[in-house]
Amino acid sequence: MASKQSTVASFVEAAPPGELSNVVADIKALAPNELQSLEPAFQKYNEDQYTTVKLPGSSDTVLISAYNSLGNGRYSDSASQTSFEVDHASQKASGSQEHPLDSANANLIRSLQKSFSTAAAEHFPSSTVGVFPADSDSSIALVLVAKKYSPQNFWNGRWRSTYTLIPSFDSMTGTIKVDVHYYEDGNVRMSTSKKVELSSGGGSADAVVREIAKVENKFQEELNRAFTTLAEGSFKGLRRQLPVTRQRVEWEKIGGYRLGQDIGGGRSK
Amino acid sequence: MADPFDAALDLLRRLPPSSTQNNLNGIISLRPDLEEDLLSSVDVSLTSRRCPKSGRDYLCCDYNRDGNSYRSPWSNEFEPPIEPDDAADLVPGGRVRRMEESLNSAVDVYRELYYEGGVSSAYLWALDEGFAGVVLFKKTASGAGKGGWDSIHVLEINEAATKRSAHYKLTSTVILDLGMSSSSVDNLDLAGNLTRQTQQDSSLSGFKDSDVEQGHVVNIGRMVEDMETRMRNLLQEVYFGKAKDVVGDLRSIQPLSEAERDKKAHREVISKMGR
Repeated sequence: MASKQSTVASFVEAAPPGELSNVVADIKALAPNELQSLEPAFQKYNEDQYTTVKLPGSSDTVLISAYNSLGNGRYSDSASQTSFEVDHASQKASGSQEHPLDSANANLIRSLQKSFSTAAAEHFPSSTVGVFPADSDSSIALVLVAKKYSPQNFWNGRWRSTYTLIPSFDSMTGTIKVDVHYYEDGNVRMSTSKKVELSSGGGSADAVVREIAKVENKFQEELNRAFTTLAEGSFKGLRRQLPVTRQRVEWEKIGGYRLGQDIGGGRSK
Repeated sequence: MADPFDAALDLLRRLPPSSTQNNLNGIISLRPDLEEDLLSSVDVSLTSRRCPKSGRDYLCCDYNRDGNSYRSPWSNEFEPPIEPDDAADLVPGGRVRRMEESLNSAVDVYRELYYEGGVSSAYLWALDEGFAGVVLFKKTASGAGKGGWDSIHVLEINEAATKRSAHYKLTSTVILDLGMSSSSVDNLDLAGNLTRQTQQDSSLSGFKDSDVEQGHVVNIGRMVEDMETRMRNLLQEVYFGKAKDVVGDLRSIQPLSEAERDKKAHREVISKMGR
């Protein structure tokens, strides 16, 4: 039997986009004593979901991830070359300091940060990107998060892309994850995750972000097709819109239905 | 501080619907005092059992349960058997059982027509005034892709003193689970539940008791069919339409600057037409 602590931590981990505060309020009403144990769960949530925070003293937003974690609750930002502390429970940043970009690929990272940001704005009405050195500086992580929250209409959505580029390699790998929650008089959740492989287009910043846009377009087109496949395949296979007779059931006569004979349409001919 | 029971229901509406049973167990472990209320208010995927007497499958829910025993609508017996004293209270007889048998036969045909498979069950019980019931359907996807449809229709029926009509209240929940794995989408999970309510007055014709009883079966059947049809269309809209729309709101395949140019050109054409 899981401990109370791990139970509430699992609730935080599974919180839908934009509704973490609602989940925390519910946990507070159910098990107020467990709230103080949630710090690690909040950190994991923020790093997994690429939570964005406002840089102290600036209007720029930065995302938080394992890639730009410096330990001790501090995170780095490649664009402004600063580091800052994050309070995971309130998702607020403070205490920013200079933090020069320390990487053998610093130039590439800086141009990727610019190109990726510009390219993202071409497809995402609102998004935040981050480019960071990764794997002890042997690779570069390109991270993107886009959110659309509409709680007044009972829906929220989040898109996360993560790409790993090894400079001088021809190919890159990545993962795209989309999470949508709709909760008007119900609870509907869509989640999808796809591993992708793409070319690095020669390795220049512009080429890399072009390849990323291509693979994301392909993914989104295939996702749209998958919705149709589910609607016309699995969903139809569960319950028909109308019986094979194309007529609603005649409940007064239902005692007289003989399956096979009546349903085959023999009666109507 | 919010009411714990409301908080539990709110939490279950936010956490992934595909793990409702686990989440429910988790909440109950935090607040054992809420167990009974939660188990009777939260809809989870239905399980089925085989009735040993009739050889037919039936669906299990709180309404045909006593401890670990469930009553089969086909044999009208609890399996494993329960104490005769409890059975006297819980096993319906007379008018209620007659209507229950008739309702089960009727929804069995409905099930075959719409679900072409699956399992159905209906349970009725007397109230101080009128009677109540639940109609259940379960269908599991076969073939490629996983999936399941569970519908739970809870009814309350109040007869007019004249027995010429009755008032029917219906609360319906459909739990739908769809998924696929393919080379184009590693995995896509779409799961959830929607609840709708309705009520209406329907007439009962005939003078004999058996006519009135049959009238109820007809009215209930029609109401359930109407509701399921409405909900199936709603589910199609919400599951596929809405989810797709939200993804489209998150990201546009067409570059946004292009889309803006198209919109501007379109607006110019419209304003020129206005002159």
